Amino acid sequence: MHIRSLFYFIGEALKSIARNGWMSVASIAVVAITLLILGSFMVLNYNVTLITEDVKEQVQIVLYVDEEASGEDRLKLQQKLVGHPQMEEVRFVSRDEALERLKRQLGDRSYLVEGYEGEDNPLRDSYELRTKIPEDIAIVAGEIKEYPGVDYVDYGSGVVEPLFQFTGVVRWMGLIFMAGLAVTAVFLIAHTIRLTVYIRRKEIMIMKYVGATDWFIRWPFVFEGLILGFIGAVIPIIIIYYGYNTAVAWAQTNIYFVSLVSPEDIIEEMVKVLLPLGVILGVLGSSISVRRFLKV
Amino acid sequence: MAKLLIEARNIKKRYQMGEVIVYALRGVDFTLYEKELVVVLGPSGSGKSTLLNIIGGMDRASEGEFYFGDFHLHEASERQLTYYRRNEVGFIFQFYNLMPNLTAYENIDLSAQIAENPLDIDGLLEQVGLSERRDHFPSQLSGGEQQRVAIARGLAKNPRMLLCDEPTGSLDLASGIQVLKLLRDFCDDYQKTVVIITHNTEISKMADRVVYLKDGLVDKVEINDSPLSAEQVSW
Repeated sequence: MHIRSLFYFIGEALKSIARNGWMSVASIAVVAITLLILGSFMVLNYNVTLITEDVKEQVQIVLYVDEEASGEDRLKLQQKLVGHPQMEEVRFVSRDEALERLKRQLGDRSYLVEGYEGEDNPLRDSYELRTKIPEDIAIVAGEIKEYPGVDYVDYGSGVVEPLFQFTGVVRWMGLIFMAGLAVTAVFLIAHTIRLTVYIRRKEIMIMKYVGATDWFIRWPFVFEGLILGFIGAVIPIIIIYYGYNTAVAWAQTNIYFVSLVSPEDIIEEMVKVLLPLGVILGVLGSSISVRRFLKV
Repeated sequence: MAKLLIEARNIKKRYQMGEVIVYALRGVDFTLYEKELVVVLGPSGSGKSTLLNIIGGMDRASEGEFYFGDFHLHEASERQLTYYRRNEVGFIFQFYNLMPNLTAYENIDLSAQIAENPLDIDGLLEQVGLSERRDHFPSQLSGGEQQRVAIARGLAKNPRMLLCDEPTGSLDLASGIQVLKLLRDFCDDYQKTVVIITHNTEISKMADRVVYLKDGLVDKVEINDSPLSAEQVSW
């Protein structure tokens, strides 16, 4: 295609969008609303995923070292824990540190544990362990329980399993819902764009009579679909960006303990997903229906 | 003797309608000379429009041979047919078929854009008497004015022939006469071949040659030695 033709086709497409006025507005609106719904749900899904991941990250195994364990056993235990292939983080908490923590937790009533320092400390040395994959926690806990110098292992069994089950369900539901929404969006957008072509099928016929080649007829429609899809995608991206920024600002002052996906990451995702979706569907929708009407 | 422009032999066109085969043309022989105005007369269903579409390269005959000079239309590829439509044929329809979203000027420009040897658009607009309405959209023009734009569009490509399918079919008498006069003028001034398809027998009085079509066959051909001018025709 010559550059001159390219400009001609784009010019024709823009003219057609402007002169078809309401039809263009309507198709942009449908594309924008559909993508806004899809985009909003994606934002929700990202954040739910992030929060559940956060919760899962906090799941850990606490391993209490046997008080009777020999120095050799203690060393071996540490080596085995650090060398465990599924282990993400190994953190030793001495009994002194544990007592300090307890004092801090008790706050004003820390006097309750006063006098237990040093030899009188009733607490034990322990390890705080995090597995690479949080769901592996029960298996890993089962394995390390048998290591030398271990008194007992606690990973919150009975609480952790339902939590994982719940986060799994949330994740799957999000994916299924999003896939459903995406399919709906594809159909809605493609059909809307096709409708804009359908209404003007007579123009395709006229162009054929005039002696235009199929591509000469097709290009303006293709560019029109592209432009409609592009504008229809940019609008929800802007809305989501400003809406999400406001929501994050509100959340930071009101529910600061919940961490949310940053607006920059969100906008990046939206641009990566919604923009191509709008543009590709716009182009496909119009090319497919033009092709149909080109067959006389 | 005028030069032969088109020669079609034994043109047949059949359509498959479910189990039944319907013949629109049953073996038409048709010739067209340069610079003549031909009227094809016939009742509806006689195959007029089918013939026009085949002559114009919009449709293909199911059988028969069709020559445009050395060019064999019955063997032409889609691309060649498009090229033929673009450079040799101007179409004019009963319902004008203008692009609703383009102005009078842009409608004519549309066909000039793709032609190899287009005529001046403003000159054409002046000739059809619509210079003032250059930037009006079809919806802002009367039927007669729209048809005049369509004629200018057909001519803008500077084709060898203008094919008109009931060009006055939806116009009042005065507008119809105006359109016919333009067609006659273009035939004479620009040396174009003009084919008018109609069921209005009055129009045939201004033709150089009249082809009568009946049931998909040529019934008879009459040569008119003293054609009337458009103003003398009335219905």
